[in-house]
Amino acid sequence: MSALTYSSVRKTFGPTVALEGLDLEVHDGELISLLGPSGCGKTTALRIAAGFERADSGTISVSDADITNLPPHKRNMGMVFQSYSLFPNLTVAGNVEYGLRTRGIPKPERHKRVGEMLELVQLTALANRYAHQISGGQQQRVALARALAIQPQVLLLDEPLSALDAKVRATLRDEIRRIQTELGITTLFVTHDQEEALAISDRVGVMSNGNLEQLGPPTEVYRHPSSAFVARFVGSMNELPAVVRGPDAVAVGGYVVTTPAIGRREVGEPVLFLVRPEDMSLGNGEAAGISGTVTGRTFQGAATIVAVRLDVADSLVAVHSSGSAATHLSPGDRVDVVIDGARGVCETPVSA
Amino acid sequence: MALVTQPTPEGTGVPMIRGDAAKPGRGRRFGRIGPNLVLIAAAIFFIAPLVSMTRFALQKVPMPLLHWSTIFDKWSFSALTDAFREPSFSDTLLLSLRLAFGTVVVTLALLIPTALFVHLKLPKARPIVEFLTVLPYVVPPIALVAGVAAFFRPNARWFLNSNYSLIPFYVVMALPFTYRSIDAGIKAIDVRTLVDASRSLGASWPSTLRRALLPNLSASIISSAFLTTAVVLGEFTIARTLSKQTFPVFSFDYFGRKAQGGIALALFTLVGSTALLGLFTLLTRRKSRRQTTRF
Amino acid sequence: MTAELIEVEGGRTKSAAPKAAKIRSGTAWFGLLPFLLFLGLFLVLPTYGVVRKAFIANDGSYTWTGISDAISKEGAAFRTSLKVSIVTALLGVVLGTLLAYAAATATRPKWLRSLVSAFSGVAANMGGIVLAFAFFTLLGRQGLGTKMLNNIGYNLYDTGWFDLTGFWGWSTVYMYFQVPLMVLVTLPAIDGLQASWREASSNLGGTTWTYWRRVGLPILAPSMLGGFLLLFANAFSAFATAYALNTGSNLVPVKISFFLQGDISGRSPMPFALATWMIIIMAVSMGGYLFLRKRAERWRS
Repeated sequence: MSALTYSSVRKTFGPTVALEGLDLEVHDGELISLLGPSGCGKTTALRIAAGFERADSGTISVSDADITNLPPHKRNMGMVFQSYSLFPNLTVAGNVEYGLRTRGIPKPERHKRVGEMLELVQLTALANRYAHQISGGQQQRVALARALAIQPQVLLLDEPLSALDAKVRATLRDEIRRIQTELGITTLFVTHDQEEALAISDRVGVMSNGNLEQLGPPTEVYRHPSSAFVARFVGSMNELPAVVRGPDAVAVGGYVVTTPAIGRREVGEPVLFLVRPEDMSLGNGEAAGISGTVTGRTFQGAATIVAVRLDVADSLVAVHSSGSAATHLSPGDRVDVVIDGARGVCETPVSA
Repeated sequence: MALVTQPTPEGTGVPMIRGDAAKPGRGRRFGRIGPNLVLIAAAIFFIAPLVSMTRFALQKVPMPLLHWSTIFDKWSFSALTDAFREPSFSDTLLLSLRLAFGTVVVTLALLIPTALFVHLKLPKARPIVEFLTVLPYVVPPIALVAGVAAFFRPNARWFLNSNYSLIPFYVVMALPFTYRSIDAGIKAIDVRTLVDASRSLGASWPSTLRRALLPNLSASIISSAFLTTAVVLGEFTIARTLSKQTFPVFSFDYFGRKAQGGIALALFTLVGSTALLGLFTLLTRRKSRRQTTRF
Repeated sequence: MTAELIEVEGGRTKSAAPKAAKIRSGTAWFGLLPFLLFLGLFLVLPTYGVVRKAFIANDGSYTWTGISDAISKEGAAFRTSLKVSIVTALLGVVLGTLLAYAAATATRPKWLRSLVSAFSGVAANMGGIVLAFAFFTLLGRQGLGTKMLNNIGYNLYDTGWFDLTGFWGWSTVYMYFQVPLMVLVTLPAIDGLQASWREASSNLGGTTWTYWRRVGLPILAPSMLGGFLLLFANAFSAFATAYALNTGSNLVPVKISFFLQGDISGRSPMPFALATWMIIIMAVSMGGYLFLRKRAERWRS
């Protein structure tokens, strides 16, 4: 049984196409993240599910019931907004209770449910505060409790973490995932932060220009991006001008990298070869590498990112180094860079 | 934990509303009928008196004879030019303009140093000063003029004999607007930093004021000058009660003698004030554009 | 270069700090002296004069009779003034809020919103004789509007309830500044209503009506109540418009002026007692307004 289904949903705003026939199934109890740059259509997709926007064509259904034309207040969906959107005139408890009152649930049960919800988000102590008296992270947890109190069929999260600072963001992110798993609630999560999407999703859908570019588990999207767009957007990528050398190899300058990403390209065809920083390492003299000059270094705690300007192809790359050797490097040092092409991606360069 | 059970649509306490899925959502267009009606009604209410006043002032067709056939007849400025020829016209207008000028000067001389001082040296006095500046709302012109009668008439009659004795009371009347305008201007430019920067570059206090602060405050200075002028050119209560022949008082008396002429003068005041407003908007807009390019 | 500049500034701030602190300790208040003296002389002393005179009998002794006479002898003026003020404030709150809402939510002409707000700024201050004259030409017996209504078969003056120089006449004219004033008060509050509150409400199963009853109106309530007090005070103290419409109007401000001009000797406490009552009423309603404005701003972060 699929809980939330988009079938060929298309939406335009004037000349702008926000969604180009979206097909997506969020399975029962699953958390799918829609990831993409702003304007890619992810928020439109979410708002169509909530009923705030109406699709130009296509249908949207929940548990096989068509809800395409149902007004928002008759859809049983819980939504959490980027701006928290707590009702400022109501207390924390009053906010959580709101959806229960509109449903005419008797008072004793409302109170019981509010209590449970606040316990779930660990805010029981703040029940009588107002939104302006609590922090952003707490407000967003109240918003989550408010959305969950109505026992929605689907939970919609519209960039719920982007207004928060880094530390709170990580905590709340994990908490959302914990609660989502605990309740087993079907969830659609919209974000532009790939780290967030990778961390908490069952599947990640990467969107660009109204299209779903790739949909798959986080590891797959990260390791085997289906397109250069996905590769660039999820994680960081080094881009090296290269030439196809054979059915499973490209040459960067004179240096040959074995890679399965050639596809049906011909030998001699120029390509852009995309490699993640962690698939590049600094040579220790044993394996041959591409020589280059260190231009900078960023210490990130567990690892060090070294910027190297390669002699061939004149490109600047970031190399992920977990060893202690990198910490001694300084700009101007000569190094060898070894490339592991197993998870590389080839892209036909846009000719000028 | 007695948690929320599996969020299934049926079987829980939450009634699942469903069934009329085919009903099309309400069109957004219909939601605008009410607001548009309000806007149109407001436009009629606010424009109609201005139109009728213009017609009355500039058309010499008595109302009973006004008809579609006579709607373009006998439009002329003669009621206005007749009023201009009244001997009191230029006297009272000049007096009102002088009063306006005096009020602007006193307002700025009093408020700019005070507001700057509060911002730079005495931030804790701000609530007090802000409270004082809204006091004129509590003592409206008609009560203020009673106070003038109660206090100045017995104690300083010589002061009230001068027409210019109106100036300080006009300053007080305009205070809530003018102070807020200047205060907002100061808040917007972060005087503290400007003063620090200017002083650290070796400028003296007077030249800091003249070259760093006043140019950046010009928009709010012009705005409060306009507000003050508008207040003075429309002020009737105090002038009437103290028997000063200002322009509004003359307009009112002239209306008693020649209705059309009085209304032509009212129209003249309105158009004049609006032109002043337009001029001021233009000035401040150019000013702010220059500022944005400079920074 | 940059480092030097920072050094210089840092040094300056350090040396300036103790000086500023010294000034602050006492002499700083002298900077406010001109302002305080000015207000003292031209606002506080006249006010004191009014209140004092209200309590002085003809023989020079202090008495309450002036204050109580003002109510007992001019009760009709107070009743009319209160009625006009309450009616125009109530109507102003409702119509002003509707207009502000219509302007704030309008999307079509982009300039509409700024036009409404700019015009409100002008019209809210447009009391006085100009306004009275404008309405005289519109709704007077020979007014353009009266004639147009007559042409469509509605004789305004035959119906008996309306007279430009009577209660509904004043009220109509007052609306010309009351509604814009309310727009100025309530527009920021309406702008403060976030679209996502409405969405959250409908998402939680609420209809438009639920939203307004549980969220929208409660949030606007302090602004609307504050606006009512402000409009009430505004109408209660309006003199020039009422006076120009009808010099014999039975309103408190017109009465004050009447007694002031009628009694040159300044002996009678009547105008001062009336003015004292007016100041009291102003103080209470303006205090309430400022308090409610603070409350309304609490939610806007």
